[in-house]
Amino acid sequence: MRRLLLAIALVFAVSPAGAERLVTQVSQDEVSITSSFAGETLTLFGSIEPEVGATQRFVEGPYHVIITVTGPLQNRVARRKTNQFGIWLNTAQADFIGVPSFYQVLSDARLADITNVITLAENKIPLDLQPIATPTAATQEMLAFAPQLVRLMEEKGFYRLNETGVVFRSDTFYYARVSLPADAPPGPYLAHTFLFKNGEIIAEKSEGFSVRKIGFERFLGLAARQQPLLYGIVCVALALFTGWLGGVVFRR
Amino acid sequence: MQVYLPIAELSMNLFFLVGIGGAVGFLSGLFGVGGGFLLTPLLIFSGVPASVAVASVTGQVVAASTSGALSYYRRGQIDLHMSLYLVLSGVLGAFGGVATFQVLRAAGQLDLVISLGFLILLGFVGSLMLVESARAIMKRRAGIVVREKLPNQHNWFHGLPWRVRFKKSRLYISVIPVLALGVAIGFVGSLLGIGGGFILVPALVYILRMPGTMVIGTSLLQVVAMMAATTILHAVQSQSVDILLAFCLMVGGTVGAQFGASAGKYLRGEQLRALLAVLVLAVAIRFGVSLVLAPADPYSTAVLGAAGVI
Repeated sequence: MRRLLLAIALVFAVSPAGAERLVTQVSQDEVSITSSFAGETLTLFGSIEPEVGATQRFVEGPYHVIITVTGPLQNRVARRKTNQFGIWLNTAQADFIGVPSFYQVLSDARLADITNVITLAENKIPLDLQPIATPTAATQEMLAFAPQLVRLMEEKGFYRLNETGVVFRSDTFYYARVSLPADAPPGPYLAHTFLFKNGEIIAEKSEGFSVRKIGFERFLGLAARQQPLLYGIVCVALALFTGWLGGVVFRR
Repeated sequence: MQVYLPIAELSMNLFFLVGIGGAVGFLSGLFGVGGGFLLTPLLIFSGVPASVAVASVTGQVVAASTSGALSYYRRGQIDLHMSLYLVLSGVLGAFGGVATFQVLRAAGQLDLVISLGFLILLGFVGSLMLVESARAIMKRRAGIVVREKLPNQHNWFHGLPWRVRFKKSRLYISVIPVLALGVAIGFVGSLLGIGGGFILVPALVYILRMPGTMVIGTSLLQVVAMMAATTILHAVQSQSVDILLAFCLMVGGTVGAQFGASAGKYLRGEQLRALLAVLVLAVAIRFGVSLVLAPADPYSTAVLGAAGVI
């Protein structure tokens, strides 16, 4: 009984009478990597509407939107070169488990103007919080290398903070463009939208989309991993054939 | 036109790939070498991960050497008996090389070893070739007739046990130096993604005293067999052979090699060797500079283990 009351209280706490909801959409839910894949731009759009069943007919801002787009997780290593005996070589490294291979933050204003640092950190929005999945398990090396890893990922174009990425077309309708680079890692992507009002999160919504190799590229990728011996033999046969053909065609 | 490479997981310009394949193929046809020692560094410098570059170039070297090996075989200029020993020991060396490749990649020192390996090997071979060809050119200018070393001059290691008669090369020597040579070339070749032709040719001439007519053909066959085995080993062990990348390079390389071979007829042997030496040294210096100069960014990052989802 107490639990039920608590649940009811919670429901009322998170959805007061004048609550808003987010209606979001991604322009495509699948990005195909074909032989001519050179990156892709997706549009995320959404509108802010009164909660279903609410008495209120329209919503009142001002609203702010922050969207995070997270790519498939991967394990990465960050290394540092130092000069040993006149040669530059990797001497220190830190392994990171479960790092987003792609991470973009889009917003309609500066993050600092939208909300406070604590809210941002609690929702793991800032770029520099991405490398360390569980802060309690972080080692000294990981903490030292994390900012460098984020910087490298930004330079490679995988991580990006775009504080003008979300554009409001009206008080309640916005869109955002996300560009995936040509070397975007294949896998599941998650676009998470946070709706802010007066610095508080009042609604959240997740949309998924996937980036996958299709057709011949997918076939090759699978073959290399599942039938490595056969794949290797085919590579050699192809090479021998190409070489032989070249000799025949150009024989004088 | 961009083409997506499924194993390297990046897009590259198709014409760029065929172009560098063709340019390197031209040089390899001109000098009679596989061209791996040029292609692997070129790919690494243009952003292909070192592991994918090394593994894919092995496939390209097979294609580049096949047509040459076939034409030498038709002319009967391959010592198959010698090749058998070289290839068998070479495959053994390649196993070692590919295993070392894996260990180094996991330890994050692969790029360093590849750079160091190229620097030492190319620096050494390049200097030797440059000195030798410069001498030959000067002697020719001075009008001295260059006398080739006699093929039947023996070194001490020719007299080691297990002597075998190689009829075609007219050699009766111990197999120990032959096997050692095979293992060494197999190891270095699979580790650095090079055919090893530019090491094998001088080794066959100066160490085993093989007659000149047999050297190029035997070395080409060795390169084809070794690189074929290495390609399969890389495909199985590191799964980093990009067949599309290799194919683009092959197409350019095979065509380029034909033009290179015809261009080679207009240059004298020692001039060719001097040019090749300069080229080899230039690559060595490029690697040396990257090792010694402070890197623009001391930090780097890489994906651990096999890359993500398909």
